[in-house]
Amino acid sequence: MSTALYPLASLVQIEKTPSREDGIPEELELDLRAHGCKLIHEAGILLKQKQVAVATAQILFQRFWYVTSMKQFGIGDIGMGALYLASKLEECPIRMRDLINVYDELLRRDAHRLKYSTGPSSSSAHEFKYIPMSYFGSTFYDLKDALVVAEMQILKRLGFNVNVVLPYGTLVNYLRLLGLTEREDVPSKAWGYLNDALQTPVYALYAVPTIVSAAIMLATRQLGIALPSSPESCWWELFDADWEDVWSVAGYIMRLYRERTPEDHARVLSMVTKKGVRSWLEDQKPAVLLP
Amino acid sequence: MSDVAGPSTPSRKRSRWDTEEDTTPQVDKPVPKRRTKSKVTTSAGTYTPERTATPPVRSQSVAGRLRPSHSRHVPPRTEHPPFMPSRSVYCYERLNSIEEGSYGVVFRARDKETGDIVALKKLKLDEEKHGFPITALREINSLMVCKHENVVGIREVVVGDTLTQVFIVMDFIEHDLKTLLSVMPSPFLQSEVKTLMLQLLSAVAHCHERWILHRDLKTSNLLMNNRGTIKVADFGLARRYGDPVGVGGLTQLVVTLWYRAPEILLGATTYSTAIDMWSVGCIFAELLLNEPLFQAKGEIEMISMIFKLLGPPTSQTWPDFLNLPLAKTITLPAPQPSQLRQKFPYVTSAGLDLLSRLLAYDPETRISAEEALKHPYFTESPLPKHPDLFGSFPSAAAGEKRRKPDSPSAPARAADYKLLTEFD
Ligand SMILES: Nc1ncnc2c1ncn2[C@@H]1O[C@H](COP(=O)(O)OP(=O)(O)OP(=O)(O)O)[C@@H](O)[C@H]1O
Ligand SMILES: [Mg+2]
Repeated sequence: MSTALYPLASLVQIEKTPSREDGIPEELELDLRAHGCKLIHEAGILLKQKQVAVATAQILFQRFWYVTSMKQFGIGDIGMGALYLASKLEECPIRMRDLINVYDELLRRDAHRLKYSTGPSSSSAHEFKYIPMSYFGSTFYDLKDALVVAEMQILKRLGFNVNVVLPYGTLVNYLRLLGLTEREDVPSKAWGYLNDALQTPVYALYAVPTIVSAAIMLATRQLGIALPSSPESCWWELFDADWEDVWSVAGYIMRLYRERTPEDHARVLSMVTKKGVRSWLEDQKPAVLLP
Repeated sequence: MSDVAGPSTPSRKRSRWDTEEDTTPQVDKPVPKRRTKSKVTTSAGTYTPERTATPPVRSQSVAGRLRPSHSRHVPPRTEHPPFMPSRSVYCYERLNSIEEGSYGVVFRARDKETGDIVALKKLKLDEEKHGFPITALREINSLMVCKHENVVGIREVVVGDTLTQVFIVMDFIEHDLKTLLSVMPSPFLQSEVKTLMLQLLSAVAHCHERWILHRDLKTSNLLMNNRGTIKVADFGLARRYGDPVGVGGLTQLVVTLWYRAPEILLGATTYSTAIDMWSVGCIFAELLLNEPLFQAKGEIEMISMIFKLLGPPTSQTWPDFLNLPLAKTITLPAPQPSQLRQKFPYVTSAGLDLLSRLLAYDPETRISAEEALKHPYFTESPLPKHPDLFGSFPSAAAGEKRRKPDSPSAPARAADYKLLTEFD
């Protein structure tokens, strides 16, 4: 079937992301991307939004950072815009007001966590309580403005090509082809990896067959299931996937599970807005000069 | 490119591309300007994500100075397009406005870089209550997803000075079928009708395969080039089907009345691909008759015209009829057989069979585009005419005057038209 091809980052776009060009290290950029996707995911749950819309939003979000720097737009705002846009694309639009409320809650929770993350007692003493904002206050209008701008910027910077192909159908097909549908654990594990991969840039980098192959590879390895991998009959070649690419996707996914220090967490939380990103970048400058 | 001294240069000094009709005050949107001065630049040129009016770098040759193509980060995925920001509408030179539709304005324009003549459809984005309109998203997406020989080609989407100016750039197609029909002295030949129907059906099949309903098929939305090729256009009402629909169901405010399927007229909220097939049936009939099949003034008249031509529906021809919201508000006329044969005395029985399957009452049994393409009508004599032999189309219409001499677009289009008939 000749479906219109969805876009993927070009070599140049992968080599030099705008954020890295602005001085954000690669590892930090990946953590910020992941955090932005987690916010989208959490907002989706709070809004009871369909999973397809959430996944589409995360993929658009990941694409966006190949054409824009986090110094220019915050991951919070763009995530909100991506979820708003994806909900329309998936024919399940959400109310602007509901989305803004949910994001306001999530962003304030982040700010709260940041405030108490480095303090002496980071436990239950400072539990987060959300106080809904007033619709007439400036916060609402600021967020609304940010939302409209974010949606339009995503469209404009991606050239209105918002064609997204989700991997779930492909996974079901491949598992059937590999005879892996009998056991329940393989599909559910692979499905989980596909969802975790939504927090990484892989859907903006690789074709769906490669990503699905990586999810199957991780799931079967974890469960100790052997698949034909001799040079003349490698299972991933069945799906036009390149082993190095499959391996790379797996690397992106595994990276998510690495331990982060409290400082890492705090740093990410402080950079959810472009203001935070800018002040972090400012702070970096003298640090380079000092011994 | 040396287009600087073109005749339209003076007007391009104005700040807005389509300055005439847009008088709405601009909402001030923070369009961030990227400051690149402080940025670290590398020897081999920098990647600047913000562009103003320069075309995106489409060259693939950059790979040379990068890592080998199989490194961890650089997969060989050459067939996928990269992320390309929208270019500016100023990449195009505005020629004239073609037509003001209900939904947007369409301009004829020239690509300053390639010289290609294109059509630019300006989207109406005034109301900003819900951000970017879902209808505009559907239109753009449908065009991008349904690329096909017989679907008007979308080239890109460009933006104007403000975030509220968005234009769809399409291949420019010389004629629309409605105007063409109105100026033709005699109807199409059977062989020509078959070719046009095959093209239309393959476009519709293609869209349906990609889960897109067009929802506004009619002759004025079918464009045609000089080479006898039809292009389905105007996806302004298109949407994806197969998604679970909300409580209200799908809107009934679709499809121009004369081409509207009976189930929509009777209030169905869960219609599907069959509604497009009914429209295809009306178009087929129009090609045979050289005039629209049902020229009703209102929905009630439309329903009674359908009943009169096809005979009122029965429990056989439309089992679900009585379950439709508006069915009970209608008193069915006395049973009466279909008048299709009388209406189309010259079409073969295969042709009549296809028409009656397209105009079947029951959407469940109405023929699909895929099936219709295999209908015997297309393999019996006379066979479909090869599109290359359609040179006679423009000349067939040559003697007649355009029907809308006072429409703002008519002069330019008529001029084109004359130009091409002179070549024939
Ligand atoms: N690609 C094109 N090439 C040439 N002419 C075009 C093209 N696209 C549209 N037009 C012309 O502009 C008219 C309006 O375009 P279109 O149908 O897409 O817009 P619309 O606003 O939805 O119109 P309407 O509501 O009147 O159907 C068409 O009927 C046709 O005459
Ligand atoms: Mg139209």
